[in-house]
Amino acid sequence: MSADFSTQGQVAPDSHKLKRVKLDLDDIANIVLFLAAFVGIWQLVYVLGIWPKVSLPSPMIVATTALGLVEDLSLISGIGMTLLRLLVGFSISMAVGTAVGLVMVRFKGFGKTMSSFAVGFQTFPSIAWIPFAILLIGFDDYGILFVVIMSSIFSVMSSTYSGIRNVPTIYIEAGRNMGAGGISLFKNLMIPAATPSLIIGMRQSWSFAWHALIGAEMLITAMVGLGFILSVGRELQIMAQVITAMITIFVIGLLSDRFIFLKLEEKVRAKWGLNQNNG
Amino acid sequence: MAKLEAKNIVKHFEHDGRQLTAIGGIDLTVEDGDFVCLVGPSGCGKSTFLRIVAGLEKPDEGQILLDNRPISYTGPDRILVFQEGALFPWLKVRDNVEFGLKIAGIPESERMEISNRYLDMMQLTKFANSYTYQLSTGMKQRVAIARALVMDPAVLLMDEPFAALDPQTRDLLLVEMQMIWQKTKKTIVFVTHNITESTVLGNKVAVFTHRPSTIKKIITIDHRRPRLVEDESLMKYQQDILADLRPEVKSKPVEKT
Repeated sequence: MSADFSTQGQVAPDSHKLKRVKLDLDDIANIVLFLAAFVGIWQLVYVLGIWPKVSLPSPMIVATTALGLVEDLSLISGIGMTLLRLLVGFSISMAVGTAVGLVMVRFKGFGKTMSSFAVGFQTFPSIAWIPFAILLIGFDDYGILFVVIMSSIFSVMSSTYSGIRNVPTIYIEAGRNMGAGGISLFKNLMIPAATPSLIIGMRQSWSFAWHALIGAEMLITAMVGLGFILSVGRELQIMAQVITAMITIFVIGLLSDRFIFLKLEEKVRAKWGLNQNNG
Repeated sequence: MAKLEAKNIVKHFEHDGRQLTAIGGIDLTVEDGDFVCLVGPSGCGKSTFLRIVAGLEKPDEGQILLDNRPISYTGPDRILVFQEGALFPWLKVRDNVEFGLKIAGIPESERMEISNRYLDMMQLTKFANSYTYQLSTGMKQRVAIARALVMDPAVLLMDEPFAALDPQTRDLLLVEMQMIWQKTKKTIVFVTHNITESTVLGNKVAVFTHRPSTIKKIITIDHRRPRLVEDESLMKYQQDILADLRPEVKSKPVEKT
């Protein structure tokens, strides 16, 4: 009878690896083709002369401008400064947002009210914070940080709140039955059980912070940063510089989402068995 | 010696704004080392009663005594094995099994030693490092049982733990459960709606009435072990229980096997 046991549990040790995003040759070929088509159409529009050359420079002119911006270090320092602001703002949002979210879980009345406010602020356009930030804090880095934090903190709050509240009752009962309570229940059960939704909230909050930051850098005139490069480009009417900054912003957004947050999310989902149909 | 006593347990609940009485006064004494099965029509409140014993729900009247002391809260002296879905997906099998030990602050090396023993008992050693989603339903219930046994509870409570299993896996676990009981000498209270299961496992079977439930009868089964599902000598007990249950089932037929 005991010989049958091994067939009882079907273990699929590699199944969680299947869903990982992996670039194979096909994908790379597709991406190259897409980029080539994009640059080709751009070049074609340029050659046709629909817009004056100052308004729409060729891909080559933009590449040269970009190289110049790299050489005089303004692009590099711009990227550095922008990322620094993003990291500081995002970290503060994560820390304070998580803390407030936990207080919301602890005090039900506050949690219910605050979560409605949080939803309202999540849909609030980040750019609408800017005049308030300028008047309250000033034309400086702190003003920019304020906008970034206000735009991203509410999604951290609500994902912490809903993530923890949605931990299945049966886990909590099993945990309490095995002697967990208070802090130990929280640390050993609630947090790990809520982690998949906490990660989703983190990813969303990062993207809100990123949107807000570029707007704030443009309007609260920072002296360094990608938003600053954009607004200087507009003022001096250097379209090649504007396009360079736009491409940089696009690439940073794409890379941080794909290679940090999506990776993290997939890793957690795989570990939690959420990619499986039988969950 | 009475290990566990339920004294006049009453439980009401709200349904469509009306108050219904789920449990209408249950008295039950479980002796040390008993394997008591609770059978009854579905919705009769036997699971609710078990949850009250576990301390996960409070009775509206009456009290539960464990070793003559009233219990008021849930705790690791009465570990409950749920029907399904109570394993933690973020932990490997071993860490699931060690969860309660970790909460109790037992050092890692000792935890390892204890969990190894029960992983071995439940034939899980090979799967110690798997995540639970990688396991079949039957293997998951083995993990749940191992996780309960490591706590060495005064009473082991089981809430239809085999209800979701296919018949072959269930029959195998019915035999193993008897061996575990004989080996560990645990006091077990086991809820099931399956009459055959109750006669195979229990040395006592308590038959519940329909809502508001009370215990209609307690049948003692002193029969050699291991008992098998197909044991014909258990048939007369099964027929007795069925005869007791039939009037209790208002609309649904009693599921036998």
